[in-house]
Amino acid sequence: MLTESVPLMQAVVPVLPEMGLLLLLILVLMHGVFSPKESRRTVCVITGVGFFTLMVIHLSVGFNFVGDPDFSGSGLGDIVRVDAFAVMFRAMILLAAALTCLMSGESRAINRRVEFYVALIVAALGMCLMVAANDLILVYVALETASVSLYIMAGFQRDSKLSSEAGLKYYLFGAVTSAILLYGLSLIFGFTGETNFSRLGPALSALTANGSEGVFALVVALLLVLVGLGFKVAVVPFHFWTPDVYEGSPTPSVAFISTASKAASFGLLVRFFSIVWPAEMIPYWAGLLAALAAITMTLGNMLALVQKNIKRMLGYSSIAQAGYALIGVVALSDTELGAAAVAFYMAMYVLTNLAAFAVISAVEWNTGSVQIADYAGLSRRSFPLAIVMVVAMLSLGGVPPAAGFFGKFFLFSAAVDAGYTWLAIIGVVNAIIALFYYLTVIKVMFVGKAEDESRYTIRPRLAVVLWVTGVGILLMGTLASPWWRWAVEASQQLTVMLP
Amino acid sequence: MLVQQYLPIAILVLFAIIMALIVVFTSVIFGPHRPTKKKLAPYESGMTPIGPAVRRLPVRFYLVAVLFILFDVEIIFLLPYAVVIRQLGLYGLIATGVFVVILTVGLLYEWKKGGLDWE
Repeated sequence: MLTESVPLMQAVVPVLPEMGLLLLLILVLMHGVFSPKESRRTVCVITGVGFFTLMVIHLSVGFNFVGDPDFSGSGLGDIVRVDAFAVMFRAMILLAAALTCLMSGESRAINRRVEFYVALIVAALGMCLMVAANDLILVYVALETASVSLYIMAGFQRDSKLSSEAGLKYYLFGAVTSAILLYGLSLIFGFTGETNFSRLGPALSALTANGSEGVFALVVALLLVLVGLGFKVAVVPFHFWTPDVYEGSPTPSVAFISTASKAASFGLLVRFFSIVWPAEMIPYWAGLLAALAAITMTLGNMLALVQKNIKRMLGYSSIAQAGYALIGVVALSDTELGAAAVAFYMAMYVLTNLAAFAVISAVEWNTGSVQIADYAGLSRRSFPLAIVMVVAMLSLGGVPPAAGFFGKFFLFSAAVDAGYTWLAIIGVVNAIIALFYYLTVIKVMFVGKAEDESRYTIRPRLAVVLWVTGVGILLMGTLASPWWRWAVEASQQLTVMLP
Repeated sequence: MLVQQYLPIAILVLFAIIMALIVVFTSVIFGPHRPTKKKLAPYESGMTPIGPAVRRLPVRFYLVAVLFILFDVEIIFLLPYAVVIRQLGLYGLIATGVFVVILTVGLLYEWKKGGLDWE
C-alpha cells in the first residue's frame, strides 16, 4: 500500500496537523512583525484559512491512512497514536480554531493583535496532541501547552479588569489542578514503571490482579487524575472558574475555551478511561463519574436559570453540557457506544456553542452589551442573527430539528444500554429544566421590545461563522446517521487499538 | 504488599512534620520573650527599614529573565546534542535545526517588538 512505498509517511502522518500548525505559527508570528502595519489586519484571515486548510488536509490524509492495516498510526516514538477517534477530534479542534479566528477579526478587543492568534495556534497544537496522546508524559505536556495558551487568551484584554480577573482565576485554578493531575499520573507511573498507554494497560491489570491493595492504590490515582481532567471540562466540584472566565474573557476566547478545550479534554478523557484502567477498576470510576455527571447536570442547569448575563448563562450551561457528555464516558464502562456518543455530542456542541458565541459577538459589536435583557427585539433588529440564535438555543436544549436532539438521544440510549437507566432519566429531567432558560432567550428576542429598534450590521467574517455553524447544526440534526456511523467506527477503533 | 512499600516514605514525611513542629514550638514555648519596638521591626541588615519590602520593579528585568531562560534551555539541549552529534546523523541534525529555527523565530519577534532595546 501507500504506506509501505513511502516510509516517511508512516512517521509524518500522525503528526501532520502539528507540523502544519508549527509552520503556521512561524508564518503568523513573522507576518505580525515584519509586514507593513496596514497589511496586518489580514492576520485573522491568514490564520483562519491556515486552520481550515490544515483541517481539510488532515481529514483527507486521515481517511486515506487510518484504518489501513499497514498504517500503525504511531508517531514520535509511539507517544502519539492516531486512530479515527483522534482524527475526528482533531478535525473539531481545527474547525473551532478556524471559526474563532474569523470571530476574533471582528472583535474590538482582539482584531489584529497577532499575539492572540499565536496563542490560539499553540493552544490548538496542544489540543491536537492531547486527543492523540498515547503516553502519560505527552498527556501532561500537551495539556499544559494548551492550558497556558488558554490562560493568555482568557486574560487577553489587559485594559479590562474583568478579563484580567478571568485570566488570573483560570490560571490559578488551572495551575493547582494540573499539579494534582501530575501527581496522579506520577502515582500511576510509580506503580507500574510504564508511561506508554499500550504497555500501561497490562501493567495495571497485573497490579489489580494482586488484590484489593492494588485497587486501593489505583483509586487514589484515579481521584487525582479526575481532578485535573474534571477541571478542564468543568465538572462540578471543579467548575468554579467557568462562569467568571466566561463572563470576563473576550468573546472569541470564550468561544474557543468552551468548544475546542472541552472537546479535546473529552477526547483525552474517553481515551484514558477506555484504554488505561483495567477491568477491576470499572465499578469505581463508572460509579464516581455517574455521580459527578448527575450533580454536574443538575447544578449547572439550576444556576443557569437565574443568570442575567448571556455569557455567564452559557458558562453554567456549558457545565451542564459537560455533565451530559460525562454520561457517555460512564456508559463507556459497558459499551463502546459511549465513546461514539461523546464524539457525536462534542461535534454538535462545538458547532452549537460557536454559533451562540458568534451571535453574541455580533450583538456585542453593535451594542457592546452582553445582558440577556438587551437581546429584546433582536428578531426585528437583525432577523438572521435571531434565527441562528434560535437554532443554537434549540440545539443546546435538545429540540429536534437541531443537532442537539440526536446528541442527547445517543448519549441517553448509550447510558440505558450500559445499565445506567437512572442516569438517563436524570439527564432527561435536566434537559427539560434547561429548556426553560434556553427558551427564555428566544422569547426575549422575539417578544421583547426595545426602545430603539434600528438595524444591526453583521460583519462579513462573522457572517461566514454564522452560516457555517447554522447550516452545520441543521445538517447534523437532520442527517445524523453518517456522522453517527463515523463516530461509531471511530469508537470501535479506540477499543481495537489495544496492543 | 504494595501499600506497605510506601510505608517508609509515609514515616519519613510524618517524621519531618513532627521534627519541624518540635523545632519551632520548643523555642516558642521555652525561649525568653522580651520584645521591644526595635526587635519587632522587620529585619533589614541591621538598619532602620526605609520603606515597604514590596516595590515596583521595571518590567524590563522580567523580559531579560525570560530571554535568558529561553537561551539557557537552548544550551541545555544543544550541549548533549554536541556530544552525540555523529551518532545521531542526519535525523539529529534536522531535529536540532527545527528546534533552533523555532527559537530564532522567537528571537526575531522579540527583537522587532523592541524587547532588546533597554531604553
